[in-house]
Amino acid sequence: MMVTILNVVIDGILTGGIYSLIAMGFGLQYGVARVLNISHGEFIMLGAFATWSLYTFFGINPLISLVICGPVLFGIGFLIHRTLFSRLQRISASTGAYEASSLLATFGILFIIQNAALLIWGPFVRGLGVYSYPVSFAGTTFGFNRLITPLFAIVISVAFYLFISRTRLGKAIRAAAQDRVTAGLMGVKINSVLAVCFGLGALMASLAGSLISITYTISPIMGLEYTAIAFIVVVLGGLGSISGSFIGGFLLGLIGSIVSYFDASLALITYYVIFMLLLMVKPTGILGK
Amino acid sequence: MKKLFIILMMIVLVCAMPLIACGEEEPAPAPAPAPAPAPEPAPPEKDSIVFGGARSLSGFNAIVAETSFNPAWYMWVEEVNAAGGIYVEEYGKKLPIETIMYDDKSDRGTLVKLLEKLITEDKVDFILGPCSTGSIFAAAPIANKYEYIMIGGEGGSITLAEFLPSMPYIFPVIQDSSHQIPPLVELMVEKGVKTAAVIYFEDLHGVENASTTVMECRKAGIDIVMYKSFPLGTKDLSPLLREAKALEVDAFLSMSYPDESFLAIGQSMEIDFNPKVFYATVGIYMTVLKDIFGDEVIEGIMGGGAWNGKQSPRAAELEAKRIEFTGPGGMEYWGFAVFWSAFQHLQQSIEMAGTLDQTVIRDILATEKFDTDFGPWWYENQVPALEAYAGVVGQWQDGYFEVILPTPKATADSIYPKPPWPKH
Repeated sequence: MMVTILNVVIDGILTGGIYSLIAMGFGLQYGVARVLNISHGEFIMLGAFATWSLYTFFGINPLISLVICGPVLFGIGFLIHRTLFSRLQRISASTGAYEASSLLATFGILFIIQNAALLIWGPFVRGLGVYSYPVSFAGTTFGFNRLITPLFAIVISVAFYLFISRTRLGKAIRAAAQDRVTAGLMGVKINSVLAVCFGLGALMASLAGSLISITYTISPIMGLEYTAIAFIVVVLGGLGSISGSFIGGFLLGLIGSIVSYFDASLALITYYVIFMLLLMVKPTGILGK
Repeated sequence: MKKLFIILMMIVLVCAMPLIACGEEEPAPAPAPAPAPAPEPAPPEKDSIVFGGARSLSGFNAIVAETSFNPAWYMWVEEVNAAGGIYVEEYGKKLPIETIMYDDKSDRGTLVKLLEKLITEDKVDFILGPCSTGSIFAAAPIANKYEYIMIGGEGGSITLAEFLPSMPYIFPVIQDSSHQIPPLVELMVEKGVKTAAVIYFEDLHGVENASTTVMECRKAGIDIVMYKSFPLGTKDLSPLLREAKALEVDAFLSMSYPDESFLAIGQSMEIDFNPKVFYATVGIYMTVLKDIFGDEVIEGIMGGGAWNGKQSPRAAELEAKRIEFTGPGGMEYWGFAVFWSAFQHLQQSIEMAGTLDQTVIRDILATEKFDTDFGPWWYENQVPALEAYAGVVGQWQDGYFEVILPTPKATADSIYPKPPWPKH
């Protein structure tokens, strides 16, 4: 019985690690930059395929790819914000109008990235078999890939949390999240900060994608399902709360694992039931204000 | 006066000349003949035969479409057109094939609209079957309503087969559970399998395959000790795999699509679950499996299919061309042979009909047996005869997807039990 419980808990943590990483980037983009990025999953897909390509064609270890793909996707995200969303913000009459137009713009980005990926990599399923070997741990067996994934997810999340809470740029981001007008008046270069936030969201998505590529199969159309998960986790953790997204990811992974133990077919239904209940009972989520 | 008389005589002579020349009397007026039947209007000039398809070029079905039907279609069209086209007697010449291909985005609503457009607006000569069992279900009544022959695409279902008597223009070609599961169960009995775990995707494909498996296993005396479903988008099958491992089943049978089939392999390896028979319905026949896991890992894994280049020199030639078409990573050993045979059978049906009339061709299609590059091909009750398939179950052996069932088409004996996962 103890082994079964351990299996369920560890499976939950393994899945939760990925969920956390995905949700933190998504939460940052909406919480600070006010962009509800429906194409977030496509950035995850780009990270995953870039990692796959680097390994397949150049033999670069997927864990090393983390430090290659992340900065590249950050740059792409930063540029997209500076060229597209900054302009949308300038021409929008209100915050509500900006959020609506940016939402539509992310739909466009989704289709552009997805179709570009289909052209580049084809519609085929890909995957990396590296690290998928059994490791005995605490009296039971797990894939090595599924152990290192949450480990990296935790390290990245903690590093990100420290960056947000301890650095000057992190302080500017938090200030922008609270009140961008006042932050601007206090000397924060608000447009740059918002672009950095969007870029950081893309970076987190890329890192998640790299880790996903060593755990699951990947395809150019994989993005949307991860965006849906990110959305649920962000609502669960609290909109705009980085630590809420972190905790929410692990919590959702754990719930999914417990439900799957009894009936795997109920796991996704449970996610959506949680999502609806939260919206009705506590729309601010666990740590949201 | 004399002059006037001569002129009148000349006029009379001139008028009477035809009668004198023919030597016949003017015929008595006859009753009006019945109007002759209008001659058959010549068929309008035609330069090509247009095939139209609403198929999944994007969306979740795209991987199946781009590896199975589409390569077979475009390769076949290229061969036919290189030979000048299909000879249609009605036009007295060979007509090359043209293709109009729309993207249904793996969405059945879009598929239905595009199919109607192809038939009513584009007025194509033939339509191509869509991708996935559910899409075939959606498209079949439309094709049948307009009396358009529909062959394919990537989907098979025993439930669909039950509807075929009321839809005479529909010819699904892919193997369904009634073709694949009975020989597989027979093989498992022969090898001494006593217990099996069945997991299945919650859709028609999964449910049909799982229920056929249970039925066949019960008949054969194999004990189904686990029978569980999983939904779309499942990212973790380990609870199910751990349960199957704890039950120490001889056979693990997954009724799943590529994503979940690959996930089951990866996670089984991760938890060291190594049943004697490891079978999944869809995706195992793709060579991308080699790229993901490597030859050593996939050794002994069985899957639905199958065909390969060992079956004949022509099969070897087509295998090489097919690999060239998408590159080795996009190769598959499942639907290509089926579609290729079905296209060649259709071509010969059109040539025998000598017309593009769907009803005439349909009757030939349903009854005639023609030789194809993969052997004789014919339909029984609008589905291919079991003997027509190049194979129904395959197994990875030394990095090659061997045909193991049915035995007369096999290119290798089956490996049993499946070798253990490689150690790292």
